[in-house]
Amino acid sequence: MKIMEDARVLSQEKVAFQTHLLRLSAGRISREARLGQFLMLQVRDGTDPLLRRPFSFHRIDGEQGIIEILYRVVGRGTWCLSRCERGDHVGIMGPLGNGFQLPECDPAPVVAVAGGIGIAPMVPLLEKLAQWMGLEGRKRGIHLFYGVRTAEEFIPETALDTLGITVHWSTDDGTKGHEGFVTRLLEDTTRREKIKPCAVYSCGPLAMQYHVAKWALENAVPSQLSLESLMACGIGACLGCALPAVNRAAPQEDHYLHVCKDGPVFKAEMIQWHKIQTHPANPPIFLYS
Amino acid sequence: MAQNSNAPGQSPDLSVQLGPLRLRNPVMVASGTFGYGEEYEDFLDLDRLGAIVVKGISLNPRPGNPPPRIVETAAGMINAIGLENVGVDVFLKSKLPRLQRWQVPVVVNIFGNTLEEYAHLAARLDGVPGIAALEINISCPNVKEGGMVFGTDPLMAARVVQAVRHATALPLITKLTPNVTRIGDIARATVDAGSDMLSCINTVAAMAVDVFSRRPKLANVMGGLSGPAVKPIALRCTWEVLQEVRCPVIGIGGISTATDALEFLLLGARAVQVGTANFVNPSVTTQILEGIERFLRVEKVDRLEDYIGTLNTHCLFPFAEIACELTDLP
Repeated sequence: MKIMEDARVLSQEKVAFQTHLLRLSAGRISREARLGQFLMLQVRDGTDPLLRRPFSFHRIDGEQGIIEILYRVVGRGTWCLSRCERGDHVGIMGPLGNGFQLPECDPAPVVAVAGGIGIAPMVPLLEKLAQWMGLEGRKRGIHLFYGVRTAEEFIPETALDTLGITVHWSTDDGTKGHEGFVTRLLEDTTRREKIKPCAVYSCGPLAMQYHVAKWALENAVPSQLSLESLMACGIGACLGCALPAVNRAAPQEDHYLHVCKDGPVFKAEMIQWHKIQTHPANPPIFLYS
Repeated sequence: MAQNSNAPGQSPDLSVQLGPLRLRNPVMVASGTFGYGEEYEDFLDLDRLGAIVVKGISLNPRPGNPPPRIVETAAGMINAIGLENVGVDVFLKSKLPRLQRWQVPVVVNIFGNTLEEYAHLAARLDGVPGIAALEINISCPNVKEGGMVFGTDPLMAARVVQAVRHATALPLITKLTPNVTRIGDIARATVDAGSDMLSCINTVAAMAVDVFSRRPKLANVMGGLSGPAVKPIALRCTWEVLQEVRCPVIGIGGISTATDALEFLLLGARAVQVGTANFVNPSVTTQILEGIERFLRVEKVDRLEDYIGTLNTHCLFPFAEIACELTDLP
């Protein structure tokens, strides 16, 4: 059941460079939402911006009726959202999409990959995994590969400390952890430490997801990748959030899946990765307007 | 919802006669913005709508355009979906039956690459129970073949309508594109060719680019603009069409509030279609209906039909107090 709800802002804080944590009181959606699903949020009334913005759930507390959204300010919509204060109201719609599944097998290690703000849905998932695999999370081998462009973009370490998992840090500029892309760190570390995971979970920019998918397919690791796309409605009506997909019945013909209703979580083998072309993320446009 | 104290006890009659169709109210949803209805079942009672126009159907399934397919612009969005749809077979087998559980009239938007495809498709849908009318799409700006090519030339537009007219007895609505010099000419040609009604407008051909990557924001480079930004264009087009033809006209373009809808009705449109606003607020049509009803109460108009087409083109300066009771319209 998809719900439209008027959510009250409980708090908003800046937790890292251009990164904000928004706590919302949302009694109904918080009870329905599952890990890896998302919501559409109307940052304010009127036509600027016109459309709702999709955000994954960062925390879901059905008992307290609270949800949290961790987001990065990347454009006008998120900039407007970052101005919201305690007591303001925002319209939200959700929960949407399919969400993560917990791995079927138990004994092998689990790998999670987060790129930039892709950490948002990974934190609650890791929490759940750590819980599910018992207190021995670290020994049992939950690995998080967490990469950002520069160290100030990391969310506070304390948010990950309590999980009892192994975190592998990487930055593009080498200001913390491995210098280079997180997917390179993933490839090197899993090879060197002979980690054979039973599942890989991932969220981040499409360029990163491409390499995670490649790694997962080459190593035959079952994957669950939370992907993103531009979308207008979030409920399967506008068909805007299409991604090129593998068509088993007719491999030569174009076929698309939709992030909002077929995803946002996909298996690596579902997507035609070579058809997705990306360019580096832009500086936030409002800096120039 | 607070009831106006001046309002008479009876609720105003919102029903409209749209050619051969009697609609319980004038608020329809536009093709391509409401899926096949099922997407919106969680958000509103579909039977409250005047009619549903389903996503455009073609003879064969179409995958649509490569992404990115949409981009937001000032007070609007540009899309280049490329008429992705399940095809007529799947539509009839799995989409229409679900819609038939509702009472709401279903209008099927049809699209073809050739005249034969239009005719073939219309023949397939002819006599299928649960279809109230066909809307002929000759105005999609996002596909290479067919689409807007048919809609920008009066002769071609007429030939499409004729082909469909010969293939079905269903009431026909022709959806017009604003991307022409004289929309009245196309309107006239399609009505002469047998279209019972017209709907206008489809999206406005548009484009968006990125200054950093120096690339278009849509894989298709160009797309169609919709949303509040296009409403003034849509009103002008609707007005021009109404000057040219006598058949019922359905106003479309940037409608997201009751006031927007009433503007089209005031010009003389007998119904409206709500499009992009469904994306922003899936239950917006309910609010528009409530707003229209409230407006008619305040204005003491018993029947919506009495309001349609009552525009007086002699423009006056407004006085401030006139609209004070109407400020709570959504």
